[in-house]
Amino acid sequence: MASRDVVHYNTPLQRVLSVLSVVFVIFYLIWTLLPFVIMFVSSFKDLLEAFKLPAVGDWAGVGVFFEFTPTLKHYQTLFSENNFSRYMLNSLIAAGGSAVISVIFGSLAAYSLSRVDFRGKSDLFFWIISTRMAPVVAVMVPLFAIFRSLDLVGTLPGLILAYTTFNLPFAIWILKGFFDNVPYGIEEAQMVDGATRFQAFRSILPLVAPGIGAFIVLCILFAWNDFLFAAIIGSGGAKTLPVATRELVQPQNIQWGAIMAAGVVTTAPMMLLGLVIRKYLVTGLTMGAVKE
Amino acid sequence: MTETLTGIDMSVRTPEDRFRARKVSTEVEARPLSAALPPPGRLNPAARKAYYFYLMAPAIALLAFISLYPFFWLIVMAFQKGDMGAVEWVGFKNFTDLASDDRFLSGWVLLFRYSTMCLFLQVSIGVLLAVVVNGSRYERFLVTALLMPMMMAPAVAGLLWLFLYNGTFGWYHWIFHSLGLLGSGSILSSAKTAMYAIVLVDVWQWTPLITLIALAGLKRVPRDQIEANMVDGASPFRNFFAIVLPNLYPVLLIAVLLRFMDNFRFIDHILVLTGGGPANATKILPVYLFEVAFKFFDLGRGAAIALVLLVVTIILGKILVGVFDRPTAGGR
Repeated sequence: MASRDVVHYNTPLQRVLSVLSVVFVIFYLIWTLLPFVIMFVSSFKDLLEAFKLPAVGDWAGVGVFFEFTPTLKHYQTLFSENNFSRYMLNSLIAAGGSAVISVIFGSLAAYSLSRVDFRGKSDLFFWIISTRMAPVVAVMVPLFAIFRSLDLVGTLPGLILAYTTFNLPFAIWILKGFFDNVPYGIEEAQMVDGATRFQAFRSILPLVAPGIGAFIVLCILFAWNDFLFAAIIGSGGAKTLPVATRELVQPQNIQWGAIMAAGVVTTAPMMLLGLVIRKYLVTGLTMGAVKE
Repeated sequence: MTETLTGIDMSVRTPEDRFRARKVSTEVEARPLSAALPPPGRLNPAARKAYYFYLMAPAIALLAFISLYPFFWLIVMAFQKGDMGAVEWVGFKNFTDLASDDRFLSGWVLLFRYSTMCLFLQVSIGVLLAVVVNGSRYERFLVTALLMPMMMAPAVAGLLWLFLYNGTFGWYHWIFHSLGLLGSGSILSSAKTAMYAIVLVDVWQWTPLITLIALAGLKRVPRDQIEANMVDGASPFRNFFAIVLPNLYPVLLIAVLLRFMDNFRFIDHILVLTGGGPANATKILPVYLFEVAFKFFDLGRGAAIALVLLVVTIILGKILVGVFDRPTAGGR
């Protein structure tokens, strides 16, 4: 603040830079948001209207994009013919199930990892985190073989378990950071007052509750957006939204209208959730390495 | 409950502390020193380690079942040929075959080319954007808008871009064509341009992550250093390269490593957009692995590739965790 008063640049260079940066931001915003606009608008267009393009180089003809009569038929086909309500439920159960399992088991493990020291703890920790970082395809090769012998392929429990492979280590890693920030003294004081160890643990849960809530949402987000596990382990009985959307692409007949509508249906809830937990998003997406 | 604690310094635990002298003669005793916490060991014995291990056990057991057990299976599978039930031990054949497998080798090359292009664009655009957005009046709005692509399922993003790139009715194809960047053929149909198409999608979806990370880093650049530099008459450019960038370096390193590993992890874009084609131009190693294991169901060979890929990731992960632990990284 003070520096603004002391040193005030107003050189021509500075002015050029500020104009350039405004242009850059506007350009970037268009580049980021345009695909969403096209997806959203196209999902309400009849196919013939969605395929209308101005002639090459005819920049004035961009208005064609807005010439259409809105229709809901793509959303209707999605839910009436393509069974999307079922897939949505699958997505919800698989993502929610793995998120809840991960956070319950993960918070217990994270709490104890944060409170106790033992030899090989850092190795245990590295194992946990490397599970999260492993390439999904590589993890899936043996997991597929095991799940097939257990008859878990194509079932929701199988998919929940598969999602837990990345959500559980994530939960442990992040939640440990939360528990590290809660002073042990609080539990100590509780125990002096006669609480058992487990009651003391329960008493500090309200302090980490916002974080835990945010990370349930993040776990749901990761699982909901997954495609590979759902395509292989969930194939058949446990189709989720991204896989079902992908299956609208058929060699002879790509149902673009339905795909755009499915894209909106799949993306909109996650965007809302993302806004709700915005505060924790950077911490979550960088696995706790960067805090806002 | 917290109210009863605010007055008490929990760090006062050792006997010496309890009988310490007043630092200043005017120091007022808010609490009698004699009423400090009981010495550990009598009323409040240190937790038995076993107790914590019981709490940990379910998660570790579950994780062992879904990560350690499959890992051993992977090793076993890598030395076998054929499917479950009718397996045959083949020793190191799966690995020696890889050495002469052109697609395996070109898969690595393509993976690194793909990652390098993605990272270069994402970091340069992302940092530039962060510098511009930082402290702007519309920062909150801009950051919210930037978040949007990251919330989208990568497979759905791939499908959306498949639509945008379409050679007959895709708007982005029209834009590229009108700008003269592209002929009439779709960007995805030519082996020369398909890789760029995929890089663009990755840049679209994940540059905002780099921006957010860089923004978090920018907030931590010491203001006094910038001020001192400005007082000394440094230009904004000089300021950026001499003060801001060096301070940003640790977080950027984390960002780069994270994105690099994600390029190994996620192949949703590529599977949806090109499936590795045309003419294998986008068949980076994980895509090739996907094809071997889940299209041709050659699980033995797939396991060998997966094992090599895993070892490389573990090495990268070791580096990443090392960076996390460095105090300058701002981590824990």
